Amino acid sequence: MTGKERVLMTLNHKMADRVPWVPFAGVHAASLIGKNATEALTDGDVLFDSLMEVKKLYAPDGMPVIFDLQIEAEILGCELLWADKGPPSVASHPLEDTTKLPCDCTQPAPDKGRLPMVTDVMKRMSAEVGEDTALYGLICGPFTLASHLRGNNLFMDMILNEEYVNSLMEFTTTTALKMIDMYIDAGMDVIAVVDPLVSQISPEHFESMCHESFKTIFDYIKAKGKASSFFVCGNATRQIEVMCKTDPDSISIDENVVMKDAKEITDKYNITIGGNIPLTTLMLHGTQQENMKFVVNMIDELSNDNLIIAPGCDMPFNVPAENTIGVAQAVRETDKVRTMVENYEAPKEDIYVELPDYDNLDKPLVEVFTLDSATCAACTYMMGAMNVAGDEYGKKIELVEYKFTEKENIARCVKMGVTNLPCVYINGKLQWSSIIPSKEELFKVIDGLL
Amino acid sequence: MSETLEQIGELLQKGNMPEVVRLCGVAIEEESSASEILDALLGGMSIIGGKFKRNEVFVPEVLIAARAMNGGLEVIKPLLLEEGVESIGKMLIGTVKGDLHDIGKNLVGMMMTGAGFEVIDLGVDVSAEKFIEAIEEHNAEIICMSALLTTTMVNMKGIIEALEEKGIRNNVKVMIGGAPITDQFAKEIGADMYAPDAATAAEEAKKLIA
Repeated sequence: MTGKERVLMTLNHKMADRVPWVPFAGVHAASLIGKNATEALTDGDVLFDSLMEVKKLYAPDGMPVIFDLQIEAEILGCELLWADKGPPSVASHPLEDTTKLPCDCTQPAPDKGRLPMVTDVMKRMSAEVGEDTALYGLICGPFTLASHLRGNNLFMDMILNEEYVNSLMEFTTTTALKMIDMYIDAGMDVIAVVDPLVSQISPEHFESMCHESFKTIFDYIKAKGKASSFFVCGNATRQIEVMCKTDPDSISIDENVVMKDAKEITDKYNITIGGNIPLTTLMLHGTQQENMKFVVNMIDELSNDNLIIAPGCDMPFNVPAENTIGVAQAVRETDKVRTMVENYEAPKEDIYVELPDYDNLDKPLVEVFTLDSATCAACTYMMGAMNVAGDEYGKKIELVEYKFTEKENIARCVKMGVTNLPCVYINGKLQWSSIIPSKEELFKVIDGLL
Repeated sequence: MSETLEQIGELLQKGNMPEVVRLCGVAIEEESSASEILDALLGGMSIIGGKFKRNEVFVPEVLIAARAMNGGLEVIKPLLLEEGVESIGKMLIGTVKGDLHDIGKNLVGMMMTGAGFEVIDLGVDVSAEKFIEAIEEHNAEIICMSALLTTTMVNMKGIIEALEEKGIRNNVKVMIGGAPITDQFAKEIGADMYAPDAATAAEEAKKLIA
């Protein structure tokens, strides 16, 4: 079963061979190829290359092409403040001082703003990986887009000028439908409507002023034969039920919502739920072991039907690649990783490992530590890169792989202080972690030791 | 508490600014003191803060209640000055450099006003220099910094370091908050207090200057 089949089957509420994995690598993708967020969000080639790196390292079943909720706002006249390590922020709200509606002539069209670049990358991704990977087209939700246009006054309008909010929501709903047309034409399999601000209004306000818009959007996606998702951020505990009533195929939540409780509600409506690996405390600041453990616990604790494993929201730029690799492995090989985590936490004292005398080696020693090069994509590439050196240098170097699936190797990792996999130690010193070196870089290091 | 004062508190919670303003005038005519009316306003806001913390009301309800509170405060301002009623402390608030998110910052500011502080709002994208200038200008006792992004939260550290370099770190208490902030982060960067929500921020601020 391909990743794409797995995601689409799950969004169609059927049990796949395992739980799908959808990393939300937005700006983070750029970090994998040494570029900044602005470069990836404005230059199609950089965006494409960074996405291909995500595909290679994280082996996703599904993935977003671009995670930027400001694409529509920019076209509609909001000024943006760009950042190196995050998506841009909206810096001005064209409707801040007026309760007029924007002209329909400002609505997004294929030639406006960054859409030519975005749809081109979508088409390239669809051609390159669309066969086996479900591609997500992310649009800005109508409520958050309304707030981009109107600023914080929108919240007061909800109480003082409901009629205006309804008209503005009608406008932003039209925007959403136009975006959906363009993204589906560009080859997207799933349309995700990302509306973080929904968590900031009462369920009653959602029903009176937002329900209609979201229902229209999800019905439209369904009518076009594609799957849908409703992404929210923040503590949306009280909004989950009213979100379900708008009929999306899935809902995605972050760590502010308790997954188990939310899933009880989404299960009642037969809606798939995705989430909710903590972004900052775990993905950004946690260890690989902690990330793997969290995901194994999640899979063990929740019923595996109607479930997608994903980060809580757009991953922070600086998430260490090894943490995401660990998550991917925990989803793909849950049983093996459960055992790995157990063995790492309680290493068997009866396993004695003798480390080489690194200061007195006969020849350069390349030690590759992997989660399992047979099943972990990043590990496969790392081992593959080192095998190229093995072929090139033959007996001039010693090359050895330690798979984390063996207890002895876990004991070795603990003794050596290896925490992130895959990684390469040369002569006992950490040389590369997660990011696979180019052939030139690798040979240069080895040549320096011969 | 008089019936009028009770009504002020209740109508504030409903966000009915015109009625709150009118009733503040009625309360003055009924010879309630400015500090009694102030207590009624702040009491109403404090109830809204508690409900917000418990996820019973959301951003629109808080903003509309704060608008009613500010309407009432305007009415009694001259009387507060006459009676010599002072704020319980002066604080600066701002979203740090590089970050334009202001909903959370605004909510904290409102709750702080509701707790009796004089709040000077420095806006968004506030640099260390701007914080320092404002501390010196207003003689503030507390500074509150907000950040929504993992990439801008680190700027809080830079601001605290700038306060140290300037030799004024010990003159102010530093409070921080925002979606990615944790208690541990607050400790790491040497802030005095982290609060997870606006109502808690107001409660903790009172303790900080007690």
